Amino acid sequence: MKPYLQYLVILLDDTSVAYCHADNPLKERNLMPIETLKKAILFGMKQNLMIQYVYPEYELPAEYDETIESIDNLKIGRDVKVTNEVPAAVDCDNIVLRIKIKDLIAKQYDIAALLPNVKRMNICLTDIETFKDEQIAEYKKALNTLGAVLTSLYKEQKHPQLNILTDRLTLKEMHNCEAGIGNITVAPNGKFYLCPAFYYDEKTGVSNKMNYKTKDASRSVGDLENGLCIPNKQLLELDHAPLCRNCDAYHCNRCIWLNQKLTWDNNTPSHQQCVIAHLERNAARDISAKLSEAGYNLPEIKEINYIDPFDVKEEW
Amino acid sequence: MSKIIKDIQNPWQEDTAKSITFIVTKDCQLACKYCYLVGKNETERMTWETAKAAIDYILDHEEDRNFKQESVVFDFIGGEPFLEIDLIDKICDYIKSEMFRRNHHWFNSYRFNFSTNGINYDSEKVQKFIEKNRTHLSIGITIDGTKRKHDLNRVYKGSEKGSYDDVVRNIPLWTKQFPEAGTKVTISSADLPYICESVLHLYDLGIKQVNINCVFEDVWKEGDDQLFEEQLTELADKIIDGGKYEENACSFFSENMGKPLDCKLQNNNWCGAGRMLAVDAAGNFYPCTRFAQYSLRDKEAWIIGNTKDGIDENKLRPFLTLDRCTQSTEECKDCEVAEGCAWCQGENYDAAKTHTVFERATAICKMHKARVRANNYYWNKLYRKLELEGKREEFEQNKPTNKTDIC
Repeated sequence: MKPYLQYLVILLDDTSVAYCHADNPLKERNLMPIETLKKAILFGMKQNLMIQYVYPEYELPAEYDETIESIDNLKIGRDVKVTNEVPAAVDCDNIVLRIKIKDLIAKQYDIAALLPNVKRMNICLTDIETFKDEQIAEYKKALNTLGAVLTSLYKEQKHPQLNILTDRLTLKEMHNCEAGIGNITVAPNGKFYLCPAFYYDEKTGVSNKMNYKTKDASRSVGDLENGLCIPNKQLLELDHAPLCRNCDAYHCNRCIWLNQKLTWDNNTPSHQQCVIAHLERNAARDISAKLSEAGYNLPEIKEINYIDPFDVKEEW
Repeated sequence: MSKIIKDIQNPWQEDTAKSITFIVTKDCQLACKYCYLVGKNETERMTWETAKAAIDYILDHEEDRNFKQESVVFDFIGGEPFLEIDLIDKICDYIKSEMFRRNHHWFNSYRFNFSTNGINYDSEKVQKFIEKNRTHLSIGITIDGTKRKHDLNRVYKGSEKGSYDDVVRNIPLWTKQFPEAGTKVTISSADLPYICESVLHLYDLGIKQVNINCVFEDVWKEGDDQLFEEQLTELADKIIDGGKYEENACSFFSENMGKPLDCKLQNNNWCGAGRMLAVDAAGNFYPCTRFAQYSLRDKEAWIIGNTKDGIDENKLRPFLTLDRCTQSTEECKDCEVAEGCAWCQGENYDAAKTHTVFERATAICKMHKARVRANNYYWNKLYRKLELEGKREEFEQNKPTNKTDIC
């Protein structure tokens, strides 16, 4: 089924935790006014959207509690813990680990040691744009380290999820970030953004190529008063992404914010994003082969001879 | 007869040559009213140091996929390129000597190409340059047709004085030196009444190939398509009845247009943006000149690198993955006369709602449809005539393969 809008991400404050690739550079508190929050919740209810609140580190005023709990929700930064450091131990089922590539490589064994104690770990690489082809071997090795631990655990019938390796094991089609298609973000100013990163860019004056007239600083795609208005929305969809629609790195985030930042077009991934996703895909293939030998019935992941689909685009 | 047409309609090594454009100046003697170069100026002139750095970078990267094509065409544009003839002469000498010194695979497979307004074509310096590089040279002079058509748009900077007289005096010399050369004619709304007389006038001047196209910008008024169709129909009659199709060609008439296209089998992009490379006075690289700032109304330049840091391959990826259907509207995809409908990637980008090259501008739609109707008329009439004269088979065997539009 074609993705459709299912999630509303509500940034409760300018300093809400970053939980994906983009860092949050905003340091000054700017709490979403409670009336705006109510309007956002109403929008979510009427559009039948699942609410995901993104919390700041500080405690919200008590009067927000009743409003926040007026609808089913997930609390990022509370229910889902977000950390920028590899913790010594984990005390929650779901954790988002935001980490630089070199740190992941350096701390691969520390991360692997956490896997038996989580239900799901999402690893977000925060510096994909810096990835160099010279790092391919090191990243592959780190993935193999993590893959070996996961394989052992699965053979013991323990099934922790690690987004960059286990998601691909079961996926049969693309399952990406889907910003603007499957989810939309509302910021404390009551405006919609494709994802929090676009709001950060607007607030900090970073040109990220989204806007119609490039001299206009706005990155918003509508507001709570007038609704959503996403120009060239079709370019967010998979069938309008020539490289991605033929790709089988199904777990890839396909981060459109990174696409804009690195290739200047929403629908075109960078070399770095493609290579990293394919190294993960191939590592998942290795895990899949071992688990199949152990009796798991998993969809086939084919052997391929490229790590960047751009290199074989003529064959498509 | 058709041999001549076939030769002049296929630009040199079109499919195998890398196109590298030096924007040597953003200045021009003229201020043509339809010119898409909105940021022309007298200050951005390429220095020798920048030109040399660009050449060194390009030749240093012979093995890169961006420069592995069998051949190369070095284009020189402006503004008016011949304003910088001294620099161009130095650039061409350096390219030749460096390709020889490096035993570069482009040595003996290169071309220097110019689009000029023709005003100083007969100057001593330009003529000396032509003499020196004659065997590796293509030059196109832009003359828009009759005096009234030409002077309607192609006027001197700072005045309304037309440039026709200063250009037409150089046409005999040019056609003598480059008998196979073609001219490029641009049609905007105000030019429509003069299309027929202009093409015929250019034939009379000895220009056998007239490359003519409507501007891609959103300039078309109510009724322009009807006027366009009438002009092309009249032109078709004059060409066919006068037997001018035997020696001449006009890119408005092409057999390969006006049919539906398949999104799987006929999904190529129209132009070569991204496969070309342009460099400007600042040493910045662009996927084509239309992405330099002086060509853009509303968007910022799409710079893909520079002579110092090289090419950022990520910035080229959108261009090299472009296909027809991804950037087209549903109406364009379903269009029954889609074949031959052109677009300019730079205009698409400039007119797009977001920062993308994947949104096709469609301002030209009604003009294309009018052209298709006139084109159908042309070929039906021509083939019937040839049939009756018993010459159709001969024509079919030698018929030109036309590239219907030019960048």
